[in-house]
Amino acid sequence: MSAATKHDLGDVILRVEDLHKRYGKDEILRGVTFELRRGETKVVIGPSGTGKSTLLRCINQLSVPDKGRVWLEDVEITHARTNINRVRAQIGFVFQDFNLFNHLTALHNVSLGLIKVKKMPKGAALRRAREELARVGLAAKENSYPAELSGGQKQRVSIARALAMDPKLILFDEPTSALDPELIGEVLEVMIQLARGGMTMIVVSHEMGFARAVADRIIFMEGGGILEEGTPSDLFTCPRCERTGQFLRKITELYGETDGQ
Amino acid sequence: MSAAEILWQNVRPLFGALPVTLEVLGLLLVIGLTLGTVLAFAQAYGRRPLRYLCIGYEQLFRGIPPLVVLLFYWGVLQSFDTPRVLVAALALGMRSAAYQSQIFRGAIQAVPPGQMMAARSLGMSRLQAIRSVIVPQAFRLAIPPWTNEYSSVVKDTAFICVIGGLIDLTRQALMKVAPLSMRRPVGTQLILPYLIILGLFYLALTYGGNGLLAMLERRMRIPGFEMKGKVER
Amino acid sequence: MKKLLLVLSLLALVGVGGVVALAEKYTVASDTTWPPFEWQAGDGQLVGFDLDVMRLIAILEGYDVEIVSYSWDIIFVDVGGGSVDIGASGATITAEREAVVDFSAPYWTSNQAVIVMADSGLNIASALSPGAKIGAQIGTTGAKWVQEQLIDKGVDVTLVEFNLYPLAVLDLVNGNVDAVVQDEPASRASVAADARLLIAGVIETGEQFGFFVANGDPKGILPKINDGLQQLKASTAWSDLITAYMGGAELTKIEAAWVAAAPYLAAKDVVGFAHALAAGATAP
Repeated sequence: MSAATKHDLGDVILRVEDLHKRYGKDEILRGVTFELRRGETKVVIGPSGTGKSTLLRCINQLSVPDKGRVWLEDVEITHARTNINRVRAQIGFVFQDFNLFNHLTALHNVSLGLIKVKKMPKGAALRRAREELARVGLAAKENSYPAELSGGQKQRVSIARALAMDPKLILFDEPTSALDPELIGEVLEVMIQLARGGMTMIVVSHEMGFARAVADRIIFMEGGGILEEGTPSDLFTCPRCERTGQFLRKITELYGETDGQ
Repeated sequence: MSAAEILWQNVRPLFGALPVTLEVLGLLLVIGLTLGTVLAFAQAYGRRPLRYLCIGYEQLFRGIPPLVVLLFYWGVLQSFDTPRVLVAALALGMRSAAYQSQIFRGAIQAVPPGQMMAARSLGMSRLQAIRSVIVPQAFRLAIPPWTNEYSSVVKDTAFICVIGGLIDLTRQALMKVAPLSMRRPVGTQLILPYLIILGLFYLALTYGGNGLLAMLERRMRIPGFEMKGKVER
Repeated sequence: MKKLLLVLSLLALVGVGGVVALAEKYTVASDTTWPPFEWQAGDGQLVGFDLDVMRLIAILEGYDVEIVSYSWDIIFVDVGGGSVDIGASGATITAEREAVVDFSAPYWTSNQAVIVMADSGLNIASALSPGAKIGAQIGTTGAKWVQEQLIDKGVDVTLVEFNLYPLAVLDLVNGNVDAVVQDEPASRASVAADARLLIAGVIETGEQFGFFVANGDPKGILPKINDGLQQLKASTAWSDLITAYMGGAELTKIEAAWVAAAPYLAAKDVVGFAHALAAGATAP
């Protein structure tokens, strides 16, 4: 049982309070509130168009929320005086469609942030980048350009890019949705290792096997709000809300329970 | 004296005039490149009033024939004792800037928005992201269309023959046509060969420049940035 | 006494200043595409009747000239606007141009020659008769004459205009026009270069060439030009210049003669220069 393998969770690292976001007429987020603890893996599920990706982007201000506040430890990210670049450097972000820098090799994709943001000397940055590429199993691909990599490889480079920054947490925005089914496993494998290694992460995903295996808590979102939050066993066995149960059954039918093992 | 010798006698001065054309060409490209880049970034990232101003500039300069721009600048700038080469380069350069800004703006906008987002998510400032991520990609995308613009301004330089006191390739050739046609006994026979040779000078400038740019493009080539719409040899 | 001293020393100062100051220098704009009045010699030197008249007047009047090659399109605008001081470019004195510039006394009277192919059998009357295609350079008196004296008077000829006069001659040779109307000295040079060409006749248009300066002559150049011109015409130099440039010598020969005569120019010897030039151009 997955919950049994879980480590103890630490103090609150991220606090999200009453986030609101609208695009034109559509209110995408209608007051989202939750906490994330150090070492926690939180999986966000829910039908598409319910604001899961927007939630992640509002956390590191890639989208600016209309209302509500976000704290990283004791720094209020949403405060006007906060240096947002400094905050972002501490929050990894893995995109659905990778967004690797197209003009850079895998190695330089990973080292760019170290050099430009962390001001690390080039040699040290490259060493660190190689370590991270090795960690995601791509040591041999360091000189490949994004166009020369498979989708799964691209996503692993993008995870390495996030990891290299020594982030306090990583936000994964549907990291396997753009992948061919046979490539999903290699990415999930890396993410499972990270979760088990104690990385703090929020993962927006439809991979129920993954959620079941490593999530400490699962958030079920619908209509721009959190409908239910609980441990995997809470949600999978006896969801309090009827909608959550319906969704889980449907998604399991559709996608099965891939977990990359 | 043989016809070939007479022809050569009159072609030689063209080499003397070549530096003037090259000087104007180089200067106008630098002016166009600098101003075009500024305009492109202002349009891609600037606030609305600035953006409209740049679009206005573009529309204005793309709408006027180069000859008219040139004569206008000549009329305005000569009273300030501006060097003639600079007048020509400014007039043609500011016009080229309008076209170049379009090329660069297109290239900037062709870089997927996710690139900027990824850079910002790492903690890069907007400026850092533009410099380290957007520009290197936009630059590569801009080379092929910029090559077209180069070919077009090479021909624009021929318009500087209307400015006084500036002997460029075309002006030099025009000065030689009459004496050449009065050489005994060849008369008008050498006019056409001579004008063809003048054309070859421009052809060499165009092809030489395009060759250099193609070399640059090859050196900068990266998988995923192959020239689109061009048949590979 | 004191006052007198002051005046004297002031006068002395002015006198010294006058001697020390460099001679006045004027820029002369000329469309140097038009032999034998102005063209570029093989070595790059700008030569021609107009330009040498300018140089010799400058010597006689004690100023310097710098000759600048100008496009015909903007020569009146620029002289009129004052960015260049003098125009010397085989320009016919017309009322239209008088509106923009002031002309000197006329220095040359020109007529238009009609060139035809020697084997065409055309004479001046048949070459300009209804149905004829007549070539001329844009904006020249030749083109204007065809328009005003033929077309406007109902003679059914076609005027074909060219950017450069030699291109009109080229089209004549190629059979695209029947005749070319152009200034007489240039026409003679063209005909001398090609045995297939013939001057069918000369139209006595009698237009007068003048040098020109900005309206109102703000720099006071015109009196100097007119005075120098008068002196020049009174000397042997004038007829020597005409012999050298209008005598039908080949351009390359005139160019060589010019180079040989140039030391006289440097020595400011007006008569000597013109004489050497004429001698060189007419030498067998």
